[in-house]
Amino acid sequence: MFYREAGQYKTSYAADMAIFPIRQDRIGIAVILLIAFVIIPVFGNQFFLSSVMIPTLVFSLAAIGLNILTGYTGLISLGTAAFMGVGAYACYKLTSWFPGVNILVWIIASGFVSAGVGALFGLPSLRIKGFYLVVATLAAQFFLQWCFVRIPWLVNYNTSGAIEVPERTLFGVVITGANATPTARYLVLLSVVAALTWFASNLVHGRVGRAWMAVRDMDIAAELMGIRLLTTKLLAFAVSSFYCGVAGALMVFLWYGSAEPEVFVINQSFLVLFMVIIGGLGSLIGSFMGAALIYMLPIVLRMLPAALGLPIASATVEHLQFIIVGALIIVFLIAEPHGLARLWQTGKQKLRIWPFPY
Amino acid sequence: MRAPGGKDGLVAGDVLLAVDNVSLSFGGVKAITEVSFDIRKGEIRAIIGPNGAGKTSMLNVINGFYHPQQGRITYKGATRQKMRPYVAASQGISRTFQNVALFKGMSTLDNIMAGRTLKMQGSFFWQLFRHGPAMREEIEHRRKVEEIIDFLEIQAIRKTPVGKLPYGLQKRVELGRALAMEPDLLLLDEPMAGMNLEEKEDMSRFILDVNNQYGTTIALIEHDIGVVMDLSDRIVVLEYGRKIADGTPDQVKSDQKVIDAYLGVSH
Repeated sequence: MFYREAGQYKTSYAADMAIFPIRQDRIGIAVILLIAFVIIPVFGNQFFLSSVMIPTLVFSLAAIGLNILTGYTGLISLGTAAFMGVGAYACYKLTSWFPGVNILVWIIASGFVSAGVGALFGLPSLRIKGFYLVVATLAAQFFLQWCFVRIPWLVNYNTSGAIEVPERTLFGVVITGANATPTARYLVLLSVVAALTWFASNLVHGRVGRAWMAVRDMDIAAELMGIRLLTTKLLAFAVSSFYCGVAGALMVFLWYGSAEPEVFVINQSFLVLFMVIIGGLGSLIGSFMGAALIYMLPIVLRMLPAALGLPIASATVEHLQFIIVGALIIVFLIAEPHGLARLWQTGKQKLRIWPFPY
Repeated sequence: MRAPGGKDGLVAGDVLLAVDNVSLSFGGVKAITEVSFDIRKGEIRAIIGPNGAGKTSMLNVINGFYHPQQGRITYKGATRQKMRPYVAASQGISRTFQNVALFKGMSTLDNIMAGRTLKMQGSFFWQLFRHGPAMREEIEHRRKVEEIIDFLEIQAIRKTPVGKLPYGLQKRVELGRALAMEPDLLLLDEPMAGMNLEEKEDMSRFILDVNNQYGTTIALIEHDIGVVMDLSDRIVVLEYGRKIADGTPDQVKSDQKVIDAYLGVSH
């Protein structure tokens, strides 16, 4: 009843091609941004900010990265964690060489390093597809992981073998290191994620995104229409790895504070892949939904018994959490194989004509 | 012939594309054997023949998807041993496919917009912002695409994902996508396969209109002999990868070899 586009006429192509052509959507996104930028930092406690919101945002960004490659371009990758690692280590090296330069500059720059590495490992994608490409990206995952463990230069010969995030400030406010407040870290992270999401949305709605989807849906037709397969696929690998790299740098600098190579193991690649599949392939909003579901659901389940006053041992809660999350993922995938984003679309469609059936 | 002189300096009736003595084989299987023919600017050229005669292979050779082992292809005056898909596309050869090869996850609008990728050369930087030059380019091409949508009478399905469209409309969208490239040579691989009479009539009308209004040269493969005889200016007949006849519909119709190929001969 409230979500209806009747009476909203578009009088120009620009209005018709807007990313949110319906007024209610524009209001919705403004409300979400208001909540994210003002209400959560003001009312959210330390735990909520640093253990729920920050990780979810980091994973959302990584999921957007993987979604560009897998959802939009149709190239499956299991190297996400490795590309995140490249971003994290690159950022660490860059900021230890040039401590005076703003850390945000290095976070973005480390994305470019990751983009280069990603494009390099994307080269086989011209010749191989599907499962074989998965194996090729798996090679990237294991090779890069080996580098993180075996090359002490990457961690400045730190005996612990871990990245230890130094203290850096932005406009005089400490945003990394032990003294950074969760609110400051959250706001910086949110700004980066919001900006990069906007860029991703612009890309996928334009010429570049159409070329990606054309390659995904019918590569032969795309090629015969003059879309260069190699360029398009490598661009997808580069942009995807850029997002993953930035997500990795943000993960270590704004969330973990220090990181060992074990952070970037293949389990994390799988985790991001699940987020993308459950959220919805080829959907940016799905990336957020997938990340939120996979990351927040276990936290909610873990806290639920205590909140309700149920006397369950914490070990049992842990086990129950695994069972319930697993079951829910299966239920979601059976209910809507195209992910939460499609569920959301269907819901909006229903809302449009509500309370009438059609 | 109908078309006026184009930007390539050719006038109607000049040879736009010539296939000279082309042979193509896959391992031991000979798909095409020493076939030569030409396509003149502004005409509708049909390629017919029984199943497996090498018609689709011929189109694939013309737009560079297959590389012939022998022979030469002359397009717009430049002679090559083989075409490359990108070169073919950027020099104005576009095509549709026998089994609809649309981008299924995208809307009708996006499919046709994707057909204009080659014409959109705006920088990646502005694409990031979807403002300024990128948006202007997008709107300019949207206008062109809307002209095609009007021309093909598919306004109502503009925003529908093409995977959900009925077959006949999918074929029409595919024609639209090929037209979006503003081709000089349009290759249609069985544009009317699996259509009912009404849909065939519509499609024939569109093909004739494309040829008339835009002066586009068309090469088409079709099994409906009635349609082929009515539409085309000249016809090539292939059988078992060899050319058995070439000429106007009337010449081809009365050619004994063609009659034998289609009706069989008593032994």
